[in-house]
Amino acid sequence: MKRYQALLTLTALSVTLGACSNLERSRDLSNPQVSGNTLAQQVCSTCHGGTHMSANGNSINPTYPNLAGQQAEYLQTELQEFHDQTRKDKMAKDYMWGLSSRLTTEQMKSIAEYYAHQKPLPNPNQSNPALVAAGQKLFAEGVSDKGVPACASCHGANAEGNGPIPRLAGQHANYLYKQLMIFNSDAGRENHPEALERPHGAAMENISHGLDDLQKHQVAAYLQSLR
Amino acid sequence: MGGLALAGSMNANAIPIYARQTGQACVTCHLGGMYPQLTSYGRLFKLTGYTMGTRPNLTDLEVQKDAPPISVWLQAGRGFTNKNNAASQPGDTQNIQAISLFSGGKITDNIGGFLQWTGGNTGGGYNFTVDNSEIRYADRNLNNGNDLIYGVYVNNHPTVSDVWNNTANWNVILMGFYNANAAAQTPQPFLDQYGPGQSEGIGAYLYKDTTWYAEAGVYKSFTHGIATTDLTAGSGSVFIDPSPYYRLAYSKDIGAHSFEVGMHGMISYAHNGSWGTTVNTYRDTALDAQYQYNLDPHYIGAHARFLHESSSFAGDQVGTTAANGSNYLNEAWLDVSYVYQAKYGGTLTYRNITGSNDLTLNALNTTTGSPNWQAWIPEIFWTPWQNLRLGFQYTVYTQMAGATSVIPGQTLKPSDFNTSAFYVSFIY
Repeated sequence: MKRYQALLTLTALSVTLGACSNLERSRDLSNPQVSGNTLAQQVCSTCHGGTHMSANGNSINPTYPNLAGQQAEYLQTELQEFHDQTRKDKMAKDYMWGLSSRLTTEQMKSIAEYYAHQKPLPNPNQSNPALVAAGQKLFAEGVSDKGVPACASCHGANAEGNGPIPRLAGQHANYLYKQLMIFNSDAGRENHPEALERPHGAAMENISHGLDDLQKHQVAAYLQSLR
Repeated sequence: MGGLALAGSMNANAIPIYARQTGQACVTCHLGGMYPQLTSYGRLFKLTGYTMGTRPNLTDLEVQKDAPPISVWLQAGRGFTNKNNAASQPGDTQNIQAISLFSGGKITDNIGGFLQWTGGNTGGGYNFTVDNSEIRYADRNLNNGNDLIYGVYVNNHPTVSDVWNNTANWNVILMGFYNANAAAQTPQPFLDQYGPGQSEGIGAYLYKDTTWYAEAGVYKSFTHGIATTDLTAGSGSVFIDPSPYYRLAYSKDIGAHSFEVGMHGMISYAHNGSWGTTVNTYRDTALDAQYQYNLDPHYIGAHARFLHESSSFAGDQVGTTAANGSNYLNEAWLDVSYVYQAKYGGTLTYRNITGSNDLTLNALNTTTGSPNWQAWIPEIFWTPWQNLRLGFQYTVYTQMAGATSVIPGQTLKPSDFNTSAFYVSFIY
């Protein structure tokens, strides 16, 4: 009986002590005092890959994109779009709108910088070699009769990205394919910019429209296999 | 722009407290939206003490557009039993009604809660009582490649703390309808019988590298306090001396797959009926496993649980609580569920109980006192939008009280209890 009371006291004590705010390990998404680094580790890592699950920013489940080594400018743009609710695809709404709604510009910048500096790892998911070979050709040459330029011309020879243009190397094929489908559905909505699901991806609309379904899978598989 | 503003406010407000706290949709934490099944992310949300997200600004709700931390859950349905039976048996139709209120969520950077009140006919009459409730303190230490989540909790019955949906309290079956009326005579392991309020517990846990999990708790009924009799009235009076609960698990995510194997159990020292009775001991030990596939548009969840219970009864309890001085009970539980686009889904559950015969504990079969029981529960459901779920569940009893045809001492056979149930579940 005494022991039980002692345990209760201990619990009450730890609860009382914990009432203080804990900026270094906070998961508070509306406190401007919490650093972007802390939020990246305590919150973003839950889906986008944490310290042990893999290196930071290398996600396990393909629902969530890898962020490690991503272009900081691209990441900050996307966070701002989530925050402003201008990126309107379903996953953006379901997962990111709420999380980013009260982040400050400074926090978003710092989260973007944090992930840009993480080391991207080879994607552990295996790509089908037949898809990879065809995807490599698409990536390097495009499809001229459909007006699809070589992906490498903007995303870089190794798909490393450049400023506002995202890194694609090692990204989950499932995620890339789903994004291509979103750009595809945005094509033709240019006269209704408010209806665009990914307004900052305007350059991708006609490109993805020019790729058939198999080609989308091929280029996604190739990019996933890139180291 | 008007449409966009409406969509924005729907996203923030049309969903319950945790969703308001994080601004995320149900599918983030619940596999394919199939609450209560938790995703890897949902598990971490709970284990980090429900602290991820934003605390509503209660003093300035209007200005901040914050929603108050209260949600409501309505369940309604109608069940049809195969055969209309005598008064002590299920009628041919039953209504299902329950209402729950939720509160909780983030309190400080380290403290959060899950608080549920439920109203309905709990068997002992119509009332509104405290349901699953807990307060957690948790911290997550991420340093030099280490990842350690640790916490303590206070809650109101064993297994409320669990995150793998492999205990009776968080089973995948939304409507525990097969338990209605006469089928409630189904022998259950003691661990499954704890109801909210019969005992209060404290516990502590560790989750290392999101892989290794260990938890220990201790539960006890209150000896003094307000309305203790009211709290226990709905589910029979059982009073617990300090009784230990534990849970161990290994978990691993690979791509869209998530695996868990573990064990949990409890040794319960129970006074049946009143504090004055001598103590009976129930030792429950379970092996459990979970598999999940979580990648839109496909979501799969599967569970297996094998529980062994050995119980021993005090000398003066033999003949009142049980006919034997000691008994055993084995429970096997298997379920698999699938949902497409988080909208169209189904679940198949199998449950099997075997154990020692006891004419006092298992009075349905008046010849043998067998606890042996087996059922299959197929279910299909549709979630047109994430707050609303419509389902049809059928319960097939293939064995009851050790009998596969007419139960000795009764005029009914197991299939007479087969039950169809339509339900609507709405949560806001």
